[in-house]
Amino acid sequence: MSVLAEQALAYVDALHNLARYLTGNETDAEDLVQEAYARALRAEHQFTPGTNLKAWLFRILRNTFLSSYRRQRNDPTVGGLDTVVAQAEGPATSDWLLGDVELDRLRKVVADEIEAALMTLSEESRTVILLDLEGLTEVEVADVVGCAVGTVKSRLARARAALRHKLKDYAR
Amino acid sequence: MTCDEVRQHLLDYQQGRARLETQKAVRAHLDGCAGCTRADAVEQELTRLLEQRLPQHPASLALKRRLAARWSQAPTERSWWSRWRSSLVPALAAAAVVLVAAPVVYYERAASGAAREQSAMVAEAVNDHLRLLSSQHPLDVESGGLHQVKPWFGGRLDFAPVMTFEGDADFPLKGGSVAYFRDRKAAVFVYARRLHPISLLVFRADGLPWPSRNLTRIGGLDALATSERGFNVIVWRRGELGYTLVSDVDVGELRALAARMTSAP
Repeated sequence: MSVLAEQALAYVDALHNLARYLTGNETDAEDLVQEAYARALRAEHQFTPGTNLKAWLFRILRNTFLSSYRRQRNDPTVGGLDTVVAQAEGPATSDWLLGDVELDRLRKVVADEIEAALMTLSEESRTVILLDLEGLTEVEVADVVGCAVGTVKSRLARARAALRHKLKDYAR
Repeated sequence: MTCDEVRQHLLDYQQGRARLETQKAVRAHLDGCAGCTRADAVEQELTRLLEQRLPQHPASLALKRRLAARWSQAPTERSWWSRWRSSLVPALAAAAVVLVAAPVVYYERAASGAAREQSAMVAEAVNDHLRLLSSQHPLDVESGGLHQVKPWFGGRLDFAPVMTFEGDADFPLKGGSVAYFRDRKAAVFVYARRLHPISLLVFRADGLPWPSRNLTRIGGLDALATSERGFNVIVWRRGELGYTLVSDVDVGELRALAARMTSAP
C-alpha cells in the first residue's frame, strides 16, 4: 500500500461522517464512501503532493454523490431533502434570533435535535457547515464545492442562519 | 465599522481568520454594542453546539477493513507508474536496448502482467470470502430459495446476476448479500457444504484482465482452478459476467459445485 493510500484511509471517518449526512442512512453512506475511495484510487496520480489530501477526498466524495449516487436514487425522502434550496431554509439575516432568549434556547438543544435540524437543510448547506467543522479553509471548501471563495463565506453564513432558524423549532 | 459589517465578519473574527485590522475593528465594535455582542455569543454557541453535540458517524470497522483490503490490491499498478515516472531519463537512455529486445520484453511483461492480474483477482476473491466469514451479519437476505435471493438484488446492483443453480441437498443455498469486487459491486450467493460456507461472487467482467492461461474445463465452461491461502478458488466468465467461487472445502467438491453452476442453462 502506498503512503498516499495509508494517508487517505486515515480520513475514512471524516469522509463517512459527511457521507452519512449527505445520504441520510448508513447503508448508502458506506456505498458512497467505497465508491469515492475507488475513484480516488483510480485518480491517485492526479493528486498534487503538498495540497490538502483530505479536501481532495472530500471533493471526490461530494462529486460522486452529485454525479452518480444521487441520480440513481429513487428514494423520495433523499430527493426531498436535497431539493430544499438555501433561500427556502430561512432568513439570511438572523436578527430575530439575536437575543438572550434565543441564546438560552440554543443551549438547551440536544444532539438528536441538531442532527435533525441539519438534515432539513439543503445538501449544499449541510456540506459547507460540515466542511467548516472539519477545519477546511474557505479556499479548500471553495475547491470542494466548486465556487468562489467569497461565495463560500456567504453560503456558510446563510447556512448557519438557516440552521439557527430550524433550531428555533426544537429548542423550546 | 457598522453592525452589518461586523456581523459579516463575525465568523472570521471568532476563528481568527480575519486580518489583524479587521480583528481589532470588530473587537472595538463589540466592546460598545450590546446587539452585536449577543450576535457574537449566539454564533459562538452555535459553533459549540456543532462541535460538541452534533453526532459524529465514524466508519465501521468492516468498512475500514474492506477499503484497506481493496487499496492493498493496487500497489503493483501504482508502483509501476511511479517507477516509470521517476526513471524517465534512464529509460530514454536505454531506449535503443529496449527496441532491440522489444519482442522478448513485450512477451515477458505481458505474461508477468497477466499473472499478476490473475493473482490479484484470486486474492480479491479470497479476501471477499474472508470478509464474509468475519462479518457479524454475513447474509443480508436469508434464503428460502433462489427465487427469494435473486429478487432481493433488484435495485442494489447495476446489473442482473445470472445464476440458475438453486442449491440442492449437497450444496444448499443459504442466502445472499452485496459486496465489492475490485472497483465494482458484486452479488454474493452463499452456499454450504456440510458446515463449510462457499461464497460465489457474480460481478460485471468488463474492464478486468480475465485469466486466459491454465484454464480447465469445468462443466460447460473453461475456468481457472487454483488455491490461495488454503482456500480453493474457481474463476470463470460467462458473457458479460464474472464468477468467483471460494471455499475451504475439498477441491473436488468445489469443482462439482462449479460444474453444476456452469452446466446450468
